[in-house]
Amino acid sequence: MSRVPLPEVPNRLPDVESERRLNEIRRTAAQSGMVTAKGVTPVGAPFPQASPETGYYGVPLLKEPQWTKEVPLYFFVGGAAGAAAVIASAAHLFTQDDDLVHSARWVAAAGGILSPALLTLDLGRPSRFLNMLRVFKLQSPMSVGAWTLTAFSSFSAAAAFANAIRQKLDSTPVYVLENIAGALATATGLVMASYTGVLIGATTIPVWNNNIETLPPHFAASGMNSAVSILELLGHENSRSLNLLGMAAAGYESLEGLMLETKRTRINEPLRKGKSGWIVRLGGVLSGPLPLALRIAYAITGNKKLRRAASWSSIAGSLLTRFGWVQAGHASAKDHRIPLELPESVPKVGMSSHELADMHMKMA
Amino acid sequence: MSTTAFLTDSTLCIGCKACEVACKEWNQISEDGYEWSGHSYDNTQAVGHSTWRHVKFVENPVEIGLGGNSGEQLPAWGFSSDVCKHCEVAGCLEACPTGAIVRMEFGAVFVQPDVCNGCSYCVVSCPFGVVQKNEEDGRAFKCTFCSDRQKAGLAPACAKACPTESIKFGNLEELRLEAQLRVKELEARGIHDAVVYDPLDTSVKGIHALFLLRGDPRSYNLPPHPEVPTTYMKKGWTSAAIAAGVMLGATLLAFLGERR
Amino acid sequence: MAENHPVGFQWVMEARHKGAKVIHVDPRYTRTSAMADYWLPLRAGTDIIFLGALINYTLTHDRYFREYVVHYTNAPIILREDFRDTEDLGGIFSGWDKEKQAYSPETWLYEGAPSADSPSGEKAGHSQAGGGHGKDRGGEAGRLYKYNDDPTLQNPRCVFQVLKSHFARYTPELVERACGIPKEKFLQVADVFISASGPEKTGAICYAVGWTQHSKGPQIIRAAAILQLLLGNIGRPGGGILALRGHATIQGSTDIPTLYDILPGYLPMPFFGSDSQKLESYIKKHGSETGWWANFDRYIISLLKAWYGDAATQSNDFCFNYLPRVTGDHSHFGYWLDMADGKMEGLFVMGQNPGVGAPNAKLQRTALSKLKWLVVRDFVETETASFWKDSPEVQRGELNPKNIATEIFFLPASGHAEKDGSYTNTQRLVQFHEKAVDALGDNRSETWFVYHLGRRLKAKAAKEPTPRNAALNALTWDYNTHGKHGEPVVDEIDGEINGYRVENRTLVSGYRDLKNNGSTACGCWIYSGMMPAPDENKARKREPHGLYGHGWGYAWPSDRRILYNRASARPDGKPWSERKKLVWWDEEKKEWTGHDIPDFTKKKPPDHKPDKDARGDDALAGDKPFIMHPDGTGWIWVPSGLKDGPLPTHYEPLESISSNPLYPEVPVNPVAKKMERPDNPYAFEGGDARFPYILSTYRLTEHHTGGGMTRYLSHLAELQPELFAEISPELAAELDIQHGEYITISSARSAIEARALITARIKPLLVEGRNVHQVCVPYQFGYKGLVTGSVPNDLLAISEEPNVRIMETKALVCNVKRGRLPQGKAGLEVWKEEMRRPA
Ligand SMILES: Nc1nc2c(c(=O)[nH]1)N[C@H]1C(S)=C(S)[C@@H](COP(=O)(O)OP(=O)(O)OC[C@H]3O[C@@H](n4cnc5c(=O)[nH]c(N)nc54)[C@H](O)[C@@H]3O)O[C@H]1N2
Ligand SMILES: Nc1nc2c(c(=O)[nH]1)N[C@H]1C(S)=C(S)[C@@H](COP(=O)(O)OP(=O)(O)OC[C@H]3O[C@@H](n4cnc5c(=O)[nH]c(N)nc54)[C@H](O)[C@@H]3O)O[C@H]1N2
Ligand code: SF4
Ligand code: SF4
Ligand code: SF4
Ligand code: SF4
Ligand code: SF4
Ligand SMILES: [Mo]
Repeated sequence: MSRVPLPEVPNRLPDVESERRLNEIRRTAAQSGMVTAKGVTPVGAPFPQASPETGYYGVPLLKEPQWTKEVPLYFFVGGAAGAAAVIASAAHLFTQDDDLVHSARWVAAAGGILSPALLTLDLGRPSRFLNMLRVFKLQSPMSVGAWTLTAFSSFSAAAAFANAIRQKLDSTPVYVLENIAGALATATGLVMASYTGVLIGATTIPVWNNNIETLPPHFAASGMNSAVSILELLGHENSRSLNLLGMAAAGYESLEGLMLETKRTRINEPLRKGKSGWIVRLGGVLSGPLPLALRIAYAITGNKKLRRAASWSSIAGSLLTRFGWVQAGHASAKDHRIPLELPESVPKVGMSSHELADMHMKMA
Repeated sequence: MSTTAFLTDSTLCIGCKACEVACKEWNQISEDGYEWSGHSYDNTQAVGHSTWRHVKFVENPVEIGLGGNSGEQLPAWGFSSDVCKHCEVAGCLEACPTGAIVRMEFGAVFVQPDVCNGCSYCVVSCPFGVVQKNEEDGRAFKCTFCSDRQKAGLAPACAKACPTESIKFGNLEELRLEAQLRVKELEARGIHDAVVYDPLDTSVKGIHALFLLRGDPRSYNLPPHPEVPTTYMKKGWTSAAIAAGVMLGATLLAFLGERR
Repeated sequence: MAENHPVGFQWVMEARHKGAKVIHVDPRYTRTSAMADYWLPLRAGTDIIFLGALINYTLTHDRYFREYVVHYTNAPIILREDFRDTEDLGGIFSGWDKEKQAYSPETWLYEGAPSADSPSGEKAGHSQAGGGHGKDRGGEAGRLYKYNDDPTLQNPRCVFQVLKSHFARYTPELVERACGIPKEKFLQVADVFISASGPEKTGAICYAVGWTQHSKGPQIIRAAAILQLLLGNIGRPGGGILALRGHATIQGSTDIPTLYDILPGYLPMPFFGSDSQKLESYIKKHGSETGWWANFDRYIISLLKAWYGDAATQSNDFCFNYLPRVTGDHSHFGYWLDMADGKMEGLFVMGQNPGVGAPNAKLQRTALSKLKWLVVRDFVETETASFWKDSPEVQRGELNPKNIATEIFFLPASGHAEKDGSYTNTQRLVQFHEKAVDALGDNRSETWFVYHLGRRLKAKAAKEPTPRNAALNALTWDYNTHGKHGEPVVDEIDGEINGYRVENRTLVSGYRDLKNNGSTACGCWIYSGMMPAPDENKARKREPHGLYGHGWGYAWPSDRRILYNRASARPDGKPWSERKKLVWWDEEKKEWTGHDIPDFTKKKPPDHKPDKDARGDDALAGDKPFIMHPDGTGWIWVPSGLKDGPLPTHYEPLESISSNPLYPEVPVNPVAKKMERPDNPYAFEGGDARFPYILSTYRLTEHHTGGGMTRYLSHLAELQPELFAEISPELAAELDIQHGEYITISSARSAIEARALITARIKPLLVEGRNVHQVCVPYQFGYKGLVTGSVPNDLLAISEEPNVRIMETKALVCNVKRGRLPQGKAGLEVWKEEMRRPA
C-alpha cells in the first residue's frame, strides 16, 4: 500500500517533550501503518482490525452450537443403550446367562425411553418433537438419528417387554418376538452407538468435521465402554466377556486419546487446550488407559474392586468425553481463524478483476 | 417464478444501515442488545436470530487526498451488508430433520416457523454462521428472503430501503452477469481490487446473495472455501458402518469366547 | 452527506456513476469520504482559507468563466473610493464602529448608488436586533440600480480587482500552514474542481452545518458562492450551492417561518423604531425599486389581508401595526439568556429538545428552572421535559427539584404518520404526506393544537375587546375541522397560503396575481400557485416527468426546479452548450422556454435594455438573471445585507488553538457575539494551555439530532448504543488511551465522559508546524431513552454569528484525559480542577 511521504516536520515548540513524542508517533504511523507506542494495546494495532488475517474484528464467523446439556447426555445414554442392545443379543445368542440378557435388554430399553425425553427437552419447542418424524431425510444425520432412535426405542422396549413376559411364561411366539425385536434393536442399536459421531461430524464446526472419520468409532467404543460398565455395576461382575469387551473398548479409547494427543493441528486445539481440552483429556484418561489398566489388573489379580473402579471410571470417562466434544465444538466455533484459512489446495473464492481480465484474454 | 437473488455491491454501500433497520421493521424482529462493540460503527456485530441483514464496517489505513472511490488504495472505510446467502446447496436445509427449511419457488431458503422445533441442527450446519436459534422463542430464525413480500410481487424490504441501490434484487443469472460487468467497469475506472464473492466451485455450488467487494472477502468474514457439511457425510457414514461392524463383531467374539 | 442525507446522497452516487468526481472536505473521514474520490481533512474552522485559496487559484490562473462573470455577476461594477479592505486595515473592513462593535455599510455600496437613509433620518444599515434571514433581497443600505461598471474588469476599483487583491494571500502554502492540507493535495483537488466548469461542464457544492455552525458560517457559504459565480456554476444544471438542510421540513420552517425575524415568504419582521411605524416606510425600507422585490408591497399587503381579513383596510395600513415588533435579540439564544436571567415567564417547546440539542445545554436546562410554566409537546419525555428531576444538575446538587417552581405541562404530540401535512425539502419541493394511522390516545397534531389554542385565546379576547386584544380579535381563524377531534382541514390552510381574491374567495393562480390594494390575500407569496384550484393541490402530485421531475410535488416558486436558470443560457439567449441546456430564448415564439420553468419574465428578450427610469422587473436588462437582486446580477460582492463584511475573510473560531495567521490583531469575527458571562465562559483567545485540542461535534446516521426520535427506538438505539469520541491513534498513544475505555473531555463550560473510539479516520494535522489533534464527538446523547450518555452540548458555548445568529458547534477547544467522569458532585469537582490548571 502506498503512503504519502512524510513531510519534514518543523517543530515550533522543540522544547516540548510531548510534541517531539507526537512527531515520533506520527512518523512510525505513517511508515508502518500502525502505532505501537505505550498505551496502545490490542495486537498489532491500536484498535481492533478487520483484515484477511483477523477476519472481521475476530468476530466468530460460525455460530456456536446451541444444544443444551441434554444433548451430550443423550449421546451418552443413547450410546450406552445401543451398545447394551448389541450385548443383549450377543449374550442371548452365545451364552446361557439369561440374567445378563435380561439386564442388557432393560438397559437398552431404559436408554431407549430416556433418549427421546432428553432430546425433547433440548428442543426449543419440545411440543413439536413429533415434527422430527414429519420427513425422513437421508442427508440429515439428525433425521436419520431421530428415526433410528424411534425405531430403537420401540424395538428395545419390545425386546425388553418380551423378555419380561418370557421370564414368566415361556411361549414360542414370545420367544420369537423377543428375538426379532432384539435383532432389530441390535441393528438400530449399532447405529445409535455410532451415528452421533456422524451427527456432530457432518457439521460446519471445524473440530468436529475434521475428525469425522474417527468420531463414530470413538463414540461407539465409548458407548460400549459405558454399556459394559453399567451392566457390570448392575451385578454382572463375573462375565468374562464383559470384561473382555470393556478391555477392547478401553483399549480403543486409549488409542483414540493417543491419536488426539499427537495430532497437533490448530483445528484440534480445543481438544487439548482450554476448558474443553481438559474435559476431553480427563474423559480420555478415565475411559481409556485407566480402565484398561484396571481391567488387566483385575484379570490378573481377580480383585473385584479393581473391576468396579474400571466400570465407574469408564462411565465417568464416557460422559465426560461427550461433554468434552460438545464443549470443544463451542470453542471451535468461536475461533474465527479456521474457516478463514486458505489451504494450498483450495482455490480462492471469487475472482479478482485481474483474474477476470486474464480469463477474458484467454477466451478471446 | 424465476430464481431471484441479491447482489450486494459494497462499492455502492454508504453504511447507512437502512437495510438492517428496514428488515427488522418489516419482520418485527427484536433488537439484539445495547452494547457498544468498538468495532468501528458496527454494534450489532453479525447476522443472527435477531439480525437478518447486517452491515459490516471495515477500516483500512487512511491516506490524505484519497477517498474511498479512488482505485489507489482500499477504501479507508468499507461497508458491506451481509445476509443469508440462500445457498444453492444449503447446509441448513440439508440438515433440518423436520423439513422446516424448504426451498421456495424463487429459490429462497425458508424456515417455516410453524414447523421448526428448535433442534438447532441447522445452526451448526450453516457454513456462513447465519441461522440461529432464538433461545427465548425456541425456534431458528434467519432471513426469509422476504418470501411474503416476494409472493405479493414486492421487492425484499432491505433492497427496497437501500438508497444507493447497493442491494440489487433480481434474477440470479442476470445478477451474476451484472456482477462481472460491474467488476470490469470498476477495473476500467482504475479499481483493480474488486471481487465477486460467489463460491461456485465449492460444495455450496454458488449462492443467491452475491457480494461485490473490494479486497479480500475474508476481511468481511466471508469464508474462502465454505463447504456444505453433507460433503463430510460419506466419510462419516462409512466410518460409522465400520465402527458398527467392528462393534458387532467384537461383541459376538467376546461372547463366543464365553461359550467356549 | 452520506451520513446525514443518505437518501439525497443517492444522486451523488448516480453522478459518480456517470463520471463525476466527488471531493469531500471534512476533518473526519466519514461515510461520505468512503464514497468520494478525494478526501481532504482540514482543521475545523478554516474553510474560508480553503475556499479563498480556490478563488485565488481560479483568478490567478485565469480559470474563471469570463463571459458568465462579466455579464451575470457584479464583478465589473465599480466600488466606492472610500472602501477599505481587511487587507488594508489589518482584519476589518471600512465602516467599523468601534463603540457599537458594528459596521455601518455605506462604504460597501457601489460607486454612485445613493445611500438609503430612512425617511425618518435613521442611518442606513442593519438593525442590531435583527437577524439576517429576511435580508437576502439586499438593497436596504442603498439604491443599487445606480452603478458604473467596467466590462474589461480592469478598473482597480471594480469588484473583480478588489476580489483579486482581497484573496491574494490565500495561497496553497497558506492552506498547508493553516488548514493542514498538504499543498500538492490542494492543488490536485483545485484542478479537478475547476476543470468541472465552463460551457460544457458544471460542478456543484453541497454543504450543511459543517459550514453554517461557525461564528462566520454565512461567510463560508459566501465564499462558495463567489467561487461558483466565478466558475459559472449557478443557475445551470448540475451546478449550484446546495444547502443540505436539517429536519424533515426545516426549509418549510423558514419559508413559513418559525424564526423571530421574518414573516412568511422572507418578508422581514418590522423592528421597533421609527422606520416601521407606517406601512409605507416599512415597504420603502425593505422593498426595492428595481428587481423582483419591487413587488414587496403586494406580498406584505396580501399577507396582512390573509391574517386580518376584513379588518385590514387601506385606511388602517392593513393592520400593519398589529404585527408585533422586534425589540431585541429574540433568537433562541437571545431569549434563552433572558430566561436564565429570570426575565421570561413561560415557554412552549414544540418539536425541539434544547436540553440536549442546544449548546451549553447545562445553561439551557438550568434556565428552564427560572420559568413559571413550561409546555413541552413531544412524543417522548425528553430531557427538556424532565430536566427538573433527572438532569446532571439535579444529580450534582446544582438544582433541587424542591426549589423549582416551574409548572410543566407535557403534552403528547402526533408523529408524522399520524397526521396530514407537507414537507418542504432542501430543493424547495413541497411534498404532501397523508396520515397513515389515527393518532393514539391523546396525541394531537401541531395543527390541531395551534388551531384550538388560537380558537380559545380568541374566544377569551372576544370577551375583552381591549386595544391589547385588538390584533387577536382581528385575526382570521376560521378553518373547518373534521374527524372526532376537530382536526383543521389542511387543504384550507394550503388554500390560504396559496392566496385568493378577497371579493369571491377564488384561488389565485400565482404570485403574479397578487395586488397591493387589499383585493387579494395570500399567506405566503412564494408558495402562491401551489394550489390554484380547490381540487388541485400540486404538493400532492406524484407523476414525475421530464428531466427534472416536474409533476412530483411542487417546487416554489412557480414549480421552478432550478433557481436563476436564465443563467443557463448565454447572454444572447442560446444555451451555453447542447450538453448543459436548460432554458433558452425561443426566437420564433419570442419567449423563454426549456426543460424547466424559466426563472425570467417569459416575454422579456435577451437584448432588452431598460429605460433609465424603469422600475421593478422592467428595470433589469435581458441578460440579468438574478432577478431578486435590484441590479439583476449574481453577487460576488455583497454591497448590502450582511453585517460582517461584503467579502468573506478568515477569522479563527471564537475558541481556537491558534492565532489568526492573516490578521494577528483581529483573531475572531469582530461582529460575532460571544455572549460571555459566568455561566457561558470561554477559553482564552489565541491558545489556552488548558485546552490543547480542537473539539468538533457532528451527527451519526443512526441517530437524529437530540435523539428524541432515535434513542427511544430499539431498532435505532442498538445501532449506536453509547456516546463515544473519535480520536486518532496518535492522540491515543500520546495520552495512553486504550480503545474503548472511557475518557473525560472538558471545556471551559463543563466536562463529559465518552468511550474512546480510536480510528485512523481521524488524522492529526500539521498546522503551523504543530501537530493538531481534533476530538470529534457526536452530539446526540442524553440521559433519557433506551441508550444514554453524557450530553456533549454541555461542553459547548452559546455564541451568535451576527447575520443568522447561529452558534459555533464545529470548532471549539477541549482537553482529554483517561478515565471516567465521576457521577454527581465529584464530577463537578473534576471539571473545576481542570479549570484551575494554568492557562
Ligand atoms: N441521520 C441523521 N440525519 C440528519 C440529522 C441527524 O441528526 N441524523 N440531522 C439533520 C439536521 S437537523 C441537519 S442540520 C443536517 C446536518 O447535516 P451535516 O451538516 O452533515 O451534519 P454534521 O454531522 O453535524 O456535520 C457535518 C460534517 O461537518 C464536519 N465538520 C466539522 N467541522 C468542520 C469544518 O470546520 N469544516 C468542514 N468542512 N467540515 C466540518 C463534521 O466532521 C461532519 O462530518 O442533517 C440532517 N440529517
Ligand atoms: N453540538 C452541536 N449541537 C447542535 C448541532 C451540532 O451539529 N452540534 N446541530 C444543531 C442543529 S442543526 C439542530 S437542527 C439542532 C436540533 O436540536 P433540537 O431541535 O433541539 O433537537 P431534536 O432532537 O431534533 O428535537 C425535536 C423533537 O421533536 C420531537 N418531534 C418530532 N416530531 C414531532 C412532531 O410532529 N410534533 C412535536 N411536537 N414534536 C415532534 C422529537 O421527538 C424531538 O424530541 O441541534 C443543534 N445542536
Ligand atoms: S447461508 Fe446458511 S442459513 Fe443461509 S441458506 Fe446457506 S446454509 Fe442456510
Ligand atoms: S432448528 Fe428448526 S429449522 Fe433448524 S434444523 Fe431444527 S427444525 Fe430445522
Ligand atoms: S430479504 Fe427480507 S428478511 Fe431477508 S434480509 Fe432482506 S428484509 Fe430481511
Ligand atoms: S441500505 Fe444500502 S447503502 Fe445502506 S447500509 Fe444497507 S446496503 Fe448499504
Ligand atoms: S430520515 Fe427521512 S428525510 Fe432523512 S434521509 Fe432518511 S428518508 Fe430522507
Ligand atoms: Mo439542523
